[in-house]
Amino acid sequence: MAAVKRPLARALLRLFAVQGSYNYERMLGVGVGVAEEPLLRDLADGKYRPAVARGAHFFNAHPYLAGLAVGAAARAEHDGAAPDQIERLREALCGPLGSLGDRLVWAGWLPFLSGLTLAAIALGAGWIAVAAFLIVYNIGHVALRWWALKAGWTHGTRVSIALHHPVLHRAVALLGPAMAFSVGAALPLTAAYLSAPFESWARVALAIVAALSFLAMRLRGDRIHGLRLSLALAAVALVVGIIWP
Amino acid sequence: MILPIELLIALVVWGTLVGVDLVSLPQMMIARPLVAGTVAGAILGDIPTGLKLGVVFELLQYDILPVGAVRYPEYGPATVAAVATAHASDGVLGLGLGALVGLVTGLAGGLTINVLRRVNSRIVHAAAAQLESGDPSVLARLHVGGLLRDALRAALVTVFGQVLAWLARPLLGGVLSVRGAVLLAVAIVATALAAGAAGTLRLVGRGPNLAWFAAGLAGGLAVTIWLR
Repeated sequence: MAAVKRPLARALLRLFAVQGSYNYERMLGVGVGVAEEPLLRDLADGKYRPAVARGAHFFNAHPYLAGLAVGAAARAEHDGAAPDQIERLREALCGPLGSLGDRLVWAGWLPFLSGLTLAAIALGAGWIAVAAFLIVYNIGHVALRWWALKAGWTHGTRVSIALHHPVLHRAVALLGPAMAFSVGAALPLTAAYLSAPFESWARVALAIVAALSFLAMRLRGDRIHGLRLSLALAAVALVVGIIWP
Repeated sequence: MILPIELLIALVVWGTLVGVDLVSLPQMMIARPLVAGTVAGAILGDIPTGLKLGVVFELLQYDILPVGAVRYPEYGPATVAAVATAHASDGVLGLGLGALVGLVTGLAGGLTINVLRRVNSRIVHAAAAQLESGDPSVLARLHVGGLLRDALRAALVTVFGQVLAWLARPLLGGVLSVRGAVLLAVAIVATALAAGAAGTLRLVGRGPNLAWFAAGLAGGLAVTIWLR
């Protein structure tokens, strides 16, 4: 057991840097190969290097769930699966792992906690809210990475069993509404917190500019986004501010 | 105001860690503006300013869903630069100038991420034959090289932000009227709030979560009015 745990621990540590060499040619491929390598070391001589090379082929998915593919591919190499079957397994996992991770983390866990933190800061919780955000977020983050790697290693080519785990689907179902509620609640509280130092005329201006900006982003979201609009309006405000004493 | 060298070094080190966290290592969300800004504020002994700018850039961050190879601004080191700018200026002037410096730094950071990925692509492409040999030392070299390049990139973006912070105070702080400073802050805070709302609605969609969003909004409004 300990002989398996040490390579798994090494793979997990390397997975934290899985996007370290992110590129447009193999995407996460090189990072996935690096993470998988400790799990391949006890393969027979003629199998080790081809398996390492396969591990570094193109791969793209959510970084927190990449461990599922790393574990599954390594297990499949140990089980003697055919090389083209392992390649197909990796390719088949890209879409589902990307989609699940995006819904679970980028559109769920992260904005949910961020919304709660914004609301807590607006209500005066200060830096403690930020510290709590970091701790709670990373409990989920590390647990997800570890579960993904272990599930992949356990199931190998039958890793789709892990992807249908009811806890995952329940989490996605719960986090969507929770995220929507927490950010919805945070927005007015944050608006009040940020507008507190302004005089009343500036608060009216803030409400008008925010409403018009929101409309512009909703109606022309393909061309107008936050950074572009902020910079454009800041440039206008600068010019007005310099010529209007 | 020129910051003491030890504070500048601390900010550059923090900005570099924040920049690396965004994509490369370990993605523990110190790159989120809320965290980056609060710690930058703590380094400067001014946590309230760090929190305030952290909130502004966190709202702008909602505009971004980092899926696939999408290109986006880098708001972590940008928030560090914003806090450094705002720390030296009072109240609303600090908020506006800081946010402006942060926006420009965020734009520059986003461009460097794209450049880095292109450079990584060329290096990986050139090493394709070696990678196919399955030599683990080749993999390690390519990967560590990518990490180091990202660290260098993040450090350069942070230094760029600190230079902008140093330039913005004498160049803009001196010529902006009080009304101008307020307008600048209003423009950026308003678009941040709009970006936060628009970005969240994109995530929420038109399904059942929209009702939860409306319920949260109503609850937040009620608490805001009650607290007044």
